[in-house]
Amino acid sequence: MTRLTDLPATQAKNLAELPCPEFATRPWVTGPALSERRVAIVSSAGLVVRGENPFRGRDPDFRVIPGDTKADGLLMSHISVNYDRTGFQEDWNVVLPIDPLNELAADGAIGSVAATHYSFMGATDPVQMEPHAREVADRLKRDQVDAVILPPV
Amino acid sequence: MSALGHYIEEAGIATVALSLIRPQTENTRPPRALWVPFELGRPFGPPSDPVFQKRVLLAALRLLEREDGPVLIEDFPDDDPRAAPDPAWRAPFIPPTVANGDIASVTSRLEAEILLLSGAHQRWVAQTGRTTVGVSGMPIGDCVRYIADWLRGKAPESPREGFSAPLILRFAVDDVKAYCLEAAAAGTAKPSSRQLGDWLWNETATGAGIRALRAAHFDSEDSRLKLIASNFIIPSARLLP
Repeated sequence: MTRLTDLPATQAKNLAELPCPEFATRPWVTGPALSERRVAIVSSAGLVVRGENPFRGRDPDFRVIPGDTKADGLLMSHISVNYDRTGFQEDWNVVLPIDPLNELAADGAIGSVAATHYSFMGATDPVQMEPHAREVADRLKRDQVDAVILPPV
Repeated sequence: MSALGHYIEEAGIATVALSLIRPQTENTRPPRALWVPFELGRPFGPPSDPVFQKRVLLAALRLLEREDGPVLIEDFPDDDPRAAPDPAWRAPFIPPTVANGDIASVTSRLEAEILLLSGAHQRWVAQTGRTTVGVSGMPIGDCVRYIADWLRGKAPESPREGFSAPLILRFAVDDVKAYCLEAAAAGTAKPSSRQLGDWLWNETATGAGIRALRAAHFDSEDSRLKLIASNFIIPSARLLP
């Protein structure tokens, strides 16, 4: 199962036709070469550091994932059951690629890795997420981040 | 993800999204996105394949250097090599599931099955150095007891402040599923997600118990319990006709 066409017809239709917000603007930020960028991950997989509160349903806020979090310290509390979790169970980098990101920094392909990453619950209403996303943006700026990768799940 | 990308980019930070569902990304039109032809749940492709994962990551990050947007949506060319089944994989030994067993029998067999899988799960933890069991906040034995109580017609209280009993039930089911799937993946074979899912939902007492849980509370008068049991414990692709 690798493509939307491989999913049950009802699930595929629901995913493809999920209501999306209309935006009046098309922001586009440029920056230095990739080798000079400081990169953070902002996931929508409902990730949470072990011991902290998991997402409850469609909570619109976010969880902080320190860059030195160990693999055993990361849990997934996404509301949906309609996606594979066995990949994440074997290797967290399938969802939150902290190890490859650190390798790219060591290789010099990127400038550095952010001190902190973040996770949202992706099935949440984007309008409710907006103030929390803007708070994350402020935190990223304070960490001198100028590039963000956004993996779904 | 596309909406998050819009908000963060609008705040002045360049973003690139990964896309698992191309039509959604085409509708939301984020600044930049890399569509990947992988299974939902695996945005960076195969587990335990750091070279492949780094290729995906770098392909996405390279879009930050392009100047021909917005909007940029590119496709990653290669499929996930771990999507194929591994014929060498063998499921852990468990007693055969009895079709149409009554709910008391299913519950007892679920409890016994989790105990039986404990050795395989310990091997998994030793092998990988981690477990994803823990979202409920309860040890696995307590998760099983919590589920068994619901199956036996009790309505146990939530042990966690701020979390409803049905939501804790959902997380306990998540933990028990993760425990079984991790135990089943212990060893040197590399089973596909479909192999593991087929085993869990077709051959185990745990799968049968979760189906029984759904059947018992599908029409609950508690709207939260009804919602959880109906939609959030069994994947829609695994519902029986």
